[in-house]
Amino acid sequence: MNNLTEELKAHPGLSDIYGEASADVEAAADPESLEAVRVKHLGRKSPLLQLLRSIPKLPAEEKPVAGRLGNQVRAALEQALLTRKQELEESQLRERLAAEQVDITLPGEPFPRGHLHLITQTLWEIEDIFIGLGYRIAEGPEVETDYYNFTALNTPEGHPARSSHDTFFIEGHPDVLLRTHTSPVQIRVMEQEDPPVYIIAPGRVYRRDSDATHTPMFHQLEGLAVDENITMADLKGTLEVFVKSMFGAEREIRMRPHFFPFTEPSVEIDVSCMICEGSGCRACKHIGWLEILGAGMVDPNVFGFVDYDTDRVQGFAFGMGIERIAMLKHRMTDLRMFFDNDLRFIKQF
Amino acid sequence: MKVPVSWLKEYISFDISAHELADRLALTGTEVERVGRAGLPATDGNLDRFVIGQVRSKAMHPDAAKLSLCDVDIGGGKTEKIVCGAQNFEDGDKAAVCLPGGVLPDGRTLEAAVIRGVESHGMMCSEAELGLSSEAAGIMILPEDAPIGGRLIDYLPVSDEVLELEVTPNRPDCLSVYGVAREVSAVLDAPLMPEPVEDIEPRGDDDVEELIYIEVADPDLCPRYAARIIAGVNVGPSPAWLKARLVAAGIRPVNNVVDITNYVMWSLGEPMHAFDLAKIAGNRILVRRAMAGEKITTIDGTERALGKHMLVIADNQHPIAIAGIMGSEDSEVSGETTDIMLEAANFSGPGIMASSLELGLRSESSTRFEKGIDPELVPKALAMAARMLVELAGGRLVPGQYDIYTGPPSPVAIHLREERIESILGLPIAGEEAEAILARLGFGVRREDSAMHVDVPTFRADVTREIDLIEEVARVFGVDAIPSTLPSGMRAKGGLSEHQAAERGIARRLADSGLSEVISYTFIAPDFADRLMLKDEDPRRRTVPLANPLSVEQSVMRTLMLPSILQTVALNLAQRNQDINIFELGRVYLPVSSEKLPLEKRTVAGCVCGSMRGESWTGGGRVADFFTGKGLVENAFAAVNGDFQVRRAGEPFLHPGKSAGIMVAGEPAGYVGEVHPRVLEAFGIDRPVTAFEIDEDALIGSSAGIVQFEDLITFPAAYQDIAVTVGLDTTAEEIISVVREAGAPLLRSARVFDVYKGEQVGEGKKSVALGLEFRSPERTLTDEDVDAARQKIILLLAERLNATLRA
Repeated sequence: MNNLTEELKAHPGLSDIYGEASADVEAAADPESLEAVRVKHLGRKSPLLQLLRSIPKLPAEEKPVAGRLGNQVRAALEQALLTRKQELEESQLRERLAAEQVDITLPGEPFPRGHLHLITQTLWEIEDIFIGLGYRIAEGPEVETDYYNFTALNTPEGHPARSSHDTFFIEGHPDVLLRTHTSPVQIRVMEQEDPPVYIIAPGRVYRRDSDATHTPMFHQLEGLAVDENITMADLKGTLEVFVKSMFGAEREIRMRPHFFPFTEPSVEIDVSCMICEGSGCRACKHIGWLEILGAGMVDPNVFGFVDYDTDRVQGFAFGMGIERIAMLKHRMTDLRMFFDNDLRFIKQF
Repeated sequence: MKVPVSWLKEYISFDISAHELADRLALTGTEVERVGRAGLPATDGNLDRFVIGQVRSKAMHPDAAKLSLCDVDIGGGKTEKIVCGAQNFEDGDKAAVCLPGGVLPDGRTLEAAVIRGVESHGMMCSEAELGLSSEAAGIMILPEDAPIGGRLIDYLPVSDEVLELEVTPNRPDCLSVYGVAREVSAVLDAPLMPEPVEDIEPRGDDDVEELIYIEVADPDLCPRYAARIIAGVNVGPSPAWLKARLVAAGIRPVNNVVDITNYVMWSLGEPMHAFDLAKIAGNRILVRRAMAGEKITTIDGTERALGKHMLVIADNQHPIAIAGIMGSEDSEVSGETTDIMLEAANFSGPGIMASSLELGLRSESSTRFEKGIDPELVPKALAMAARMLVELAGGRLVPGQYDIYTGPPSPVAIHLREERIESILGLPIAGEEAEAILARLGFGVRREDSAMHVDVPTFRADVTREIDLIEEVARVFGVDAIPSTLPSGMRAKGGLSEHQAAERGIARRLADSGLSEVISYTFIAPDFADRLMLKDEDPRRRTVPLANPLSVEQSVMRTLMLPSILQTVALNLAQRNQDINIFELGRVYLPVSSEKLPLEKRTVAGCVCGSMRGESWTGGGRVADFFTGKGLVENAFAAVNGDFQVRRAGEPFLHPGKSAGIMVAGEPAGYVGEVHPRVLEAFGIDRPVTAFEIDEDALIGSSAGIVQFEDLITFPAAYQDIAVTVGLDTTAEEIISVVREAGAPLLRSARVFDVYKGEQVGEGKKSVALGLEFRSPERTLTDEDVDAARQKIILLLAERLNATLRA
């Protein structure tokens, strides 16, 4: 460009045109005035175009220089117009965007957002842990016979463990009841399938009890593993995986001997308190451990009811209350809220 | 079961604290609910502030006729002035003195005080103040041997740590202090004292058999019935130590006779009963099943009707006790009683449990008998009770006794293989160790190579098999020693079934569509059928009713999800929650006449009430209606790649014009619709609700399965919109069906995107706008292709539905 300016000094006409046009381009403040500048300086009637059109009439020796310079001026102006146009557009866009600024602290669009019940979320989480360990999910009826709920689980009529179950019975059918635990599913599965069996059975269960710490309906998840060499050590290892997956790798478990009619030996499983980290708090009654489930080796009598060969197979079973697990995990304090179905509760999770 | 530690120490000595013992017991199978304290608080030297004092002089209070002013010797040469309101003592009597600063069991702190102008430096305590009984009128006079100045606690168990045990139903032997002592002995490896059952010599030349005749008519319910007679007892209050023991164990002292039977029950686990011999009509006892129409008024003052299978203890005229559960009021020991018949028996556990359940009556006695207890406890309990009655109630043991016994249980001997212990536990335990543990628990053990021959004691009827012995060994050895492993032979593949995966998909889709999941009780109020206006012959009126519901509101199993859904809506509206958009995956329970168990139909249900999209500064939400509900149903079906059709629903609980039956493969599979205003009213709901309910099996069964690929990319589709004017009654489905027929094979989809009614289309007409998509899998369609198809569609619409093309 500087070369061009330098060269134009010898051609005052062209130099004036170029100088004036360049100044007009610079001065244009918006695309409209820039367009006017273009028409004025590069339009058909513009001095430059007229000048270019007059070149053929020039003496032969002047033609090449005038032609070259004229076209160079036109190209330079076109370039200047384009650059200026881009500048103007850029600044206009900047202004528009600046004007469009919003209050980013206003809430976003409220898309419909539903919530799965905390029990469902907890169940799925537990199910997925056991699925990862190779278990399938088995299901069974909630209205059950006495046989599956008690008898085949080594709790014959008159067994003292029956009275602790506070059972709902069905009118007109003294041997039909609402299952008091998910354990009947064990029997139903073993009746249908030969070992090895690795199942979990989640579902609703019922006990005739209603107060601050009991609801007449709640959820359990049962587990059953029957194979040739299953030991209590396998039970402990399995539940350790479960507890650490559910409550964190730093959790420990301990087994405490207990009694259930359908397992022998029977244990209760405690998890180290996740609230006080074992130092003692109200939740763990200051012992540092929280009871979370019952378990044991399947009682040989139970295998007898399903014709499993106790010389060939043995197994473990466990059962846990889903509400309890959810309450511990989310530090919930009121069991009854699970089934009040108040959306303020449900939408928290 | 409350076990006062001082009582436990009568049978076993140990040095560890009650809390440590509780931990050891908890880890070996005896759960300890808590370690509490009965009687006086033991903190901050409180027990030092209760001493034995002797009244040196008792004078009238100078300014109060009903008060006395006493000088009380509290030992160590100190005498305190104490103002006392009681009258039941004299100079020289010994009493329990609470010194200033002493804290009573009820938490009150005694301070030195000026009473009517005279300073009092302590209090002589009544039994009530020490928590031993309700006796508050006079102070407790201590026996002469009480050492003056000694701490009360060293003389009387007025403060005791108490283990509150939760005994599992298989261990009735641990419903006794001695049984718990045996456990402690096994766990701590500490020697157990002999049972406190040393017999006492009878006196006199009469004989029990002369005084009473006893017969057991139903030995199946009563394998053993034994009785002794104690003559000439003085019925009165028990000594303070006995009261203190019972109170600590949670038993209310009554009189010495009743207290002794309770003390023996608590010590040994054998429930006993004392009858006033004079009140046994005909001096005859018959242990028999109750007769039709018989009644009894039990000692709690309640008249109870007896069932024919319930065992009773009857005299010549009528039942005087419900065997093993509770005695009658009219045979009860009272202040006038002089001769008592002491009963110790063994009743059948299931029999007691059945009677107790049916009567709704449980007692300390029945909770023991129902678990089945050792018949060999019977003579031991009689011996212990007889001795105590003679020593504490001044009676005489009459020679002779009844002991009607079907015979001791057959001995149980079990083979225990050492290697079996490891194969069950995954932990080896040496034979010697196992043998020692079993011996401490009272089993007889003989080693034979790697096996053990184990004799089971009669008090452990719960042990019948090798596996039971393995449990005994494991729990006392400590199950925490068991290592952690995973099943070695795992070859099963885990996972959700297709149905389970689909169910999760539906739940997730509904939640993602804006519905929140609820879980409701499956038992509902029986009037749901009326509230839903179900017709008389509607099969859903037939429910599965509960025999023993908690309340009528929860007394029948639901046959429809809608009552649960509407109840949840009402509840949330009452809580002022807005936009009740919910779903539930649950079951309905339909009786099947030929089957014992009902059909449990999995059901996907839900409703919308309010807006799906809450109020927002970006614009408000539309109030949900029928089409919101239908859209959600469409989403549910889409979640499983399924499809459904609709037809007008005839459900009585829905708006007749804004409801649809959901059809899958031509079969009814549920409904969607606005709930009938009268039904809403019946549930107390004041705004529109659109509900749906879908049979889950049908929903999942409608799935087209795995989505098959279709090339939508290579040859682009052509899109056309048409709007036709039709009669108001013409349905979208009819239009679409004609369009599909005429548009085949190039028409791939037709979708209604606008419906207009109004002046521009004229009376009785509506305009329906459709978006049409044409596509060929083989080529790009030309304008001519599409125009021809469109023309055919317009013609067939005109012919079939009298539709005209809207300009």
